[in-house]
Amino acid sequence: MSTTRRTLMMTALGAAGLLAVPAYAQTSEVKVGLIAPMSGPWARQGELMIKGANLAIEHINAQGGIKSMGGAKLKLLTFDTGDSAEKAKNAAQRMVSQEPDLVAATGAWLSSFTLAVTEVTERAELPMTTLSYSDQITARGFKYIFQTSATADTQANTALPAILSVGERAGKKTTTIGIVQDNTASSVSFAKALRETSIPAAGLKLVVDETFTPPLSDATPLVQKVRSAKPELLMLLPTAVSDDKLMVEKLSEFGLGQGKLPVVANGAHFAVPEILKSVGPELMEGVMVTVGNWAVKGQESIIDDFKKKTGEPWMTQDSLSSYGDMWIFKEGLEKAGKADRKAVADAIRAMDTTEGAAKFFPGGRIKWDDKGRRVGATVVIVQWQKGAPVAVYPPETATHQPIWPKN
Amino acid sequence: MFGRRSLLRESLPIVGFAAVYMAVASMVESEYHLLTFTLVAVWATMGLAWNILSGYSGLVSFGHASFFGLGAYTSALALKLFGITPWIGIPMGTVVGAVAGLMIGVPTFRLRGHYFALAMLAYPLALLYVFEWLGYQEVAVPLMRENAAYYMQFTDHRIYVGIAVALMTAAMILSRKIEISRFGLSLLAIKQNEAAADAAGIDIMRNKLIAIVLSGAVAGTIGGFYSMVLLVVTPPSVFGMLTSAQALIMALFGGVGTMWGPVIGAMVLIPLSETLHAELGNVIPGIQGVVFGLAIILVIILAPEGIYWKIRDKLRAGRDDDRRPVDASSAAPAEPSEPARIKPGPDAPIVLSVRNLSKNFGGLKAVQDVSFDVPEGAIFGIIGPNGAGKTTLFNLLNGFVTTSSGSVSYKGGDITGLKPNAVCRLGVGRTFQVVRPFLRMSVLDNVIVGAFVSAATDDQARENALAAIELVGLGGAAERIAGSLTNKELRLMELARALAGQPKLLLLDETLAGLGSSEVEDLLAAIRRIASRGVTIVIIEHTMQAMVRLADTFLVLDHGQVIGLGDPKTITREPRVIEAYLGKKWANRA
Repeated sequence: MSTTRRTLMMTALGAAGLLAVPAYAQTSEVKVGLIAPMSGPWARQGELMIKGANLAIEHINAQGGIKSMGGAKLKLLTFDTGDSAEKAKNAAQRMVSQEPDLVAATGAWLSSFTLAVTEVTERAELPMTTLSYSDQITARGFKYIFQTSATADTQANTALPAILSVGERAGKKTTTIGIVQDNTASSVSFAKALRETSIPAAGLKLVVDETFTPPLSDATPLVQKVRSAKPELLMLLPTAVSDDKLMVEKLSEFGLGQGKLPVVANGAHFAVPEILKSVGPELMEGVMVTVGNWAVKGQESIIDDFKKKTGEPWMTQDSLSSYGDMWIFKEGLEKAGKADRKAVADAIRAMDTTEGAAKFFPGGRIKWDDKGRRVGATVVIVQWQKGAPVAVYPPETATHQPIWPKN
Repeated sequence: MFGRRSLLRESLPIVGFAAVYMAVASMVESEYHLLTFTLVAVWATMGLAWNILSGYSGLVSFGHASFFGLGAYTSALALKLFGITPWIGIPMGTVVGAVAGLMIGVPTFRLRGHYFALAMLAYPLALLYVFEWLGYQEVAVPLMRENAAYYMQFTDHRIYVGIAVALMTAAMILSRKIEISRFGLSLLAIKQNEAAADAAGIDIMRNKLIAIVLSGAVAGTIGGFYSMVLLVVTPPSVFGMLTSAQALIMALFGGVGTMWGPVIGAMVLIPLSETLHAELGNVIPGIQGVVFGLAIILVIILAPEGIYWKIRDKLRAGRDDDRRPVDASSAAPAEPSEPARIKPGPDAPIVLSVRNLSKNFGGLKAVQDVSFDVPEGAIFGIIGPNGAGKTTLFNLLNGFVTTSSGSVSYKGGDITGLKPNAVCRLGVGRTFQVVRPFLRMSVLDNVIVGAFVSAATDDQARENALAAIELVGLGGAAERIAGSLTNKELRLMELARALAGQPKLLLLDETLAGLGSSEVEDLLAAIRRIASRGVTIVIIEHTMQAMVRLADTFLVLDHGQVIGLGDPKTITREPRVIEAYLGKKWANRA
């Protein structure tokens, strides 16, 4: 008799447990993914992205998690894309196969990795946000990809007017321009857009136009040409940090540094904390960089918290974007009300807001066009001032006034 | 073994293996694991492509990414730009790979050894920049929602495994076909000793070109499929160093020169690398590369030629030990009775005629104004102290070295300046001072390599080889592995290899070197038997004693010049000859 009773009790308890466990798992924890290079040459970018995403998750959970799901907490899973497109695809396949209850993911960083990863996430109908620039990512007719940064073409076309407006804000109208670029893919396409579209449209005169093959052994001949042509603005487009250093050093040596000649570079490699050690703050002073995202006005408390918790000197594009992406997922989940990737994707696709997560992206709005590109995405221009890159454009959210020579 | 293997029977284990592989894959649910199954077959095929050139012929290529990348871009661009289905795009990749093989092979085969390897490295690096310059930094294969199967885009990932396995199986069967063919044996001969292969009548350039074309075709095919699996093609992902290295690593790890090698390599390394990446990558970023590297180093140390050979050698070692005593007795000089040999008379026709032959290496006159005639059926000895120019003279005779002046004619026709394999095809065989056997092959296979030059069919080659083995007295050892032979047996085998091409004139370079006196007797008997079959023999030697008993005529060389020619007994009493060998003091005593 007693055996029977105990068995019954056990069965009842077991049944209760079986019922309770899935219900508990569904409401208490929602998994989101970050898939980015965490090993190989781009590991540092992955690390910065994890730091940003972790901070966002901490903030979201501390503020009560997903309210429409009974305060469910977000949980971040990370996947390493390694150093090749093949490894990235493997990681994506592992992510969608082994984590069927993942609701959304972000990352990939390098455009070619993002292309490979989204081939998998699209077929798995997993919503994926990315900060990668390549136009191709959102030109394939995919429905589950959301590109938060301005695409490469948009950046190339909007960068120059933005730079000129920074100059005008500082009280100087620019009439001549110079280009010094290396011959790698991103520099070539950026410079092509400048030469063919932006410079003629702005009515500027191109007075010096130099292309070199990296790595540079000596920047003297290039900088001599720049000095004798005397452009009022120099677009500096290397891609290797060693070339960045040589050019900046030589400009300074020729008396063109520290903002005397406005210099604008393209790409976040000119604004990573490592530059502080490799080039040094004095030489970088005044150099401007166009990037897809940066910490702007209104985010001071987040940035302070980020600096305190991670020990990084400032919050880069990578950290800030993954921080904002977590908030996009949070808001998507709030609307969907359930941990279902298709419902979350629908909710993200339907967003049109200038509140909440929208504040973490330049342009300040989250709305997607039919390709999945963020409407109104624009570039941010940061300038090295007193040992840190600070936002000087767009003016609405800029934290600092630009330094620009008045003549 | 060779010539009796039917491709059909040899393919059975391959097809069986592919069926088991596919059966296991079809039980797998996870798309992630199915992707690994696909990639294992892809990299196995790429390793097989590398092996077809580098494994069989020994020409190490660091640049197989060229073919792989061209194939990948061909299928991807065909679909993206022209809407051509990959079912046609991939075969287009095959053709592009083959053509690239030819275009790369023709100039690059002028180089040898490390220089060849380094030149191959340059091609993918150059192509990488060309494709970046063309603006193909990132080519995404368009997603086809309609007609997906036509565009090779399947939701059931097992189909990808199926295609990959089919390609791998085809590459394995092709490899097996090469291994058991005349072509494969020729490549092996080139790998072991290019000079010896040339002397055995193998057209080196032609064989190498066929190998690189086949290899490029296989790599181009699998590259074309790879872009359909990855759906994104970038120059670094298909032309990068890693792609070339991966092909090489699969083969080196599993075993070079066998079709099972790259397959074993891929089946171990790809899942290992991916598992390490998945399990450790997030915990300690980068550690997966360290563990992977250590695993490779460990295997290379423990099994330097790859896992396959290590295992096979272990298995063979046991078997050969059992058979050894039987072979040894049958290889002993229980010879057929020696028919009496008739020395050529004074009116015998002249087979080889050398006139005023000279060779200078810079200021050094290695051979000076040498003239002699060898009558048909003779045993003609060339003697002289070390450095007298004997081997250089041989190299001039069979075309390894070009003459500075003078002429060589064989059976009345001028052969000065012909390539070694052309000289060989005319009926001039030769052996080398340093024996270079193909140690892993059986005695018979070793000898067959030499038989191709005169045999029209593979069966004929086999027959000639067996006859040659019988003639030198290795009859019982035909199936043994060359690596288990004694030094004397190796010399006899080398003799058989030269003989298998059915030469009319045989040039023997220090065949007796390093042998004991009883072993010398065995070889002398074998040489006499060969001569009694009507083969004219020219032999270099510096052990005078043996030569006096063997040769009909002596030519004595010193400092590249002829210092004596005639009957051995007379020649050895000539003061100039004694002086050259022993110094002035002995010459005076004689």
